[in-house]
Amino acid sequence: MSPDLERTPRNLLVSERSSFLDQKNRISSQLDQLHFNYKVCVLLPECSSAPSHLDSALNTFSSFYLIRKLPLYELLDTHFLETVRHGGVSGLSYRTRLDEDNCVALMPNGRLSLSLDKDSFELLGVEGKPSRFNHRTKSRFVVCVDLTDSSMAPGGRGYQRLVTGLTSRLPLKTDFLMSLPAGGGASVQALLSRYDWSEHRPEVSSCSLTDLLCPAPLTSDPPAPLTSDPHRLLEWLGAVHAAVSCENSSSSFLSSLVCPEPNKKLSHALRVSVCGLLSHQDVQKLIQEIRVYLSVSPPGSASWASVTLHGFVDSPVSWGGEEHGVLRGGDNFLSLMMFPDQSYLLHLATGAHDTCPP
Amino acid sequence: MPVSEALVRAKIPQDLAKDVGVESLGRTKARAFAQAFLKNSIRQQAHHEINNMLKRKALILGYARPKKDKSKRNRKKAKGLNARQKREMKIFQIKPEHQRYELFLPLHELWRQYVIDLCGGLKPTSNPQLVQQKLLKADFHGAIITVVRSKCPSYVGTTGILVQEFKHVFKIITKENKLKVIPKRNSVFAVEINGFVSHIYGSKFEQRASERSAKKFKVRGTIDL
Repeated sequence: MSPDLERTPRNLLVSERSSFLDQKNRISSQLDQLHFNYKVCVLLPECSSAPSHLDSALNTFSSFYLIRKLPLYELLDTHFLETVRHGGVSGLSYRTRLDEDNCVALMPNGRLSLSLDKDSFELLGVEGKPSRFNHRTKSRFVVCVDLTDSSMAPGGRGYQRLVTGLTSRLPLKTDFLMSLPAGGGASVQALLSRYDWSEHRPEVSSCSLTDLLCPAPLTSDPPAPLTSDPHRLLEWLGAVHAAVSCENSSSSFLSSLVCPEPNKKLSHALRVSVCGLLSHQDVQKLIQEIRVYLSVSPPGSASWASVTLHGFVDSPVSWGGEEHGVLRGGDNFLSLMMFPDQSYLLHLATGAHDTCPP
Repeated sequence: MPVSEALVRAKIPQDLAKDVGVESLGRTKARAFAQAFLKNSIRQQAHHEINNMLKRKALILGYARPKKDKSKRNRKKAKGLNARQKREMKIFQIKPEHQRYELFLPLHELWRQYVIDLCGGLKPTSNPQLVQQKLLKADFHGAIITVVRSKCPSYVGTTGILVQEFKHVFKIITKENKLKVIPKRNSVFAVEINGFVSHIYGSKFEQRASERSAKKFKVRGTIDL
């Protein structure tokens, strides 16, 4: 990276190399710890159109709900709490900026996390902690409540306090994205019927690329261990997904990103991205399908595949339920590079206001 | 001394008289002569001179203060008890049997009447500024106050009748007959009368109730908690 960029706030990158066949691989737990997934980007080399089973996997991502102006005390509704206790319900406030507005996140394990600014916290009156990423003055506070706890049963003291807080003292209303486990749609019908809601499917967009430059170690057979800097590899990957040209021609001033040397030209490549509130099961299934595809494809054609999983920038929690903040960009993502011999190269990255990924 | 007297009265011997050249007189003549000589020697004071010597002034001989009335001495202003005595006597502590919300409701009614009279009848058309000015100097014992915002989240939402106001705390009694002590600092209290809701920023209100009526409030610092 250029020396000027080194003065930017820090970012963390954890790289891991392992194999799916290894007993001790932590890939599934690492995938599960990124609770709120916004986007999955897949890059398949030497492939012009998605094979059918992969296509079906991409198109069968489960849908999610968007509820407009949901008052937050509805999340403490008795019926909804029953559904939450069964597990699998995750929700996030939509279009609330983490450093300015109040944000809400409901994790699949039943923990509700509210990231509030100072005035809202002082009005709400529920115990909370100052955010870890306050610089000098305490301007943001985090209230974390475990909805499966006994004190949060309806009628319990904690429940009562939170409900009175959210009804009379701080009536927060946000747009809410909610993703339910399979078959859970019926139980929240009562809740949904009271508000303006819509169901969305994750958006799939695919693009076929030609003449793509890619780093040579990836395409050798067997793929050589990447000696290049993971930062440069991820930069190249991001440039491909963002459709930024890596030619670095002297006439274009938009970007000076280049593919890491040594590089090789690919004739075809397929780039697919899925956007929405994605659930873990769907992502796991997709990775499974790509592993199958890599193992059955003829040698020489597809020697690697890359999957990048982006988390929400404005989510109050990131890896493992730890607090997440936005300094200049709240990126937290996971990049998985898979090879035909079932080994993988995993990068977990976060920005400045975040804890270290697992 | 009889010897010297005798000498004075003794006659001078004859031979000594001749030598000195004096002549001694006879006894009666000597006596008459002595008396006349003495009378001439003493200066006679005239009457008016004696009168002039009299100043005719009153002369103070003795000096005795009149005795003050002892009973007046003990009527000093009562000094009052100092803080230790107050704490020992526990005069400001409300006994548990007196800590009942219902007992303080008449006080609240009195306070409402007081405030309504103070603000000249709280009509919906009254100027809020005027009401605010009066409330700044008013006494709040008996008001129902609610904590609206606080740096400490567990104080938020407590409501009750104000029983005692000290320099830094409010003591209120809640509907559950609990006496709660709420520090004034870093909290915002709401007082409601007849539809007028006033927010009191406790950090700026840290004076004794008696001293607050004489204090001028200046706009200083921030009202952020």
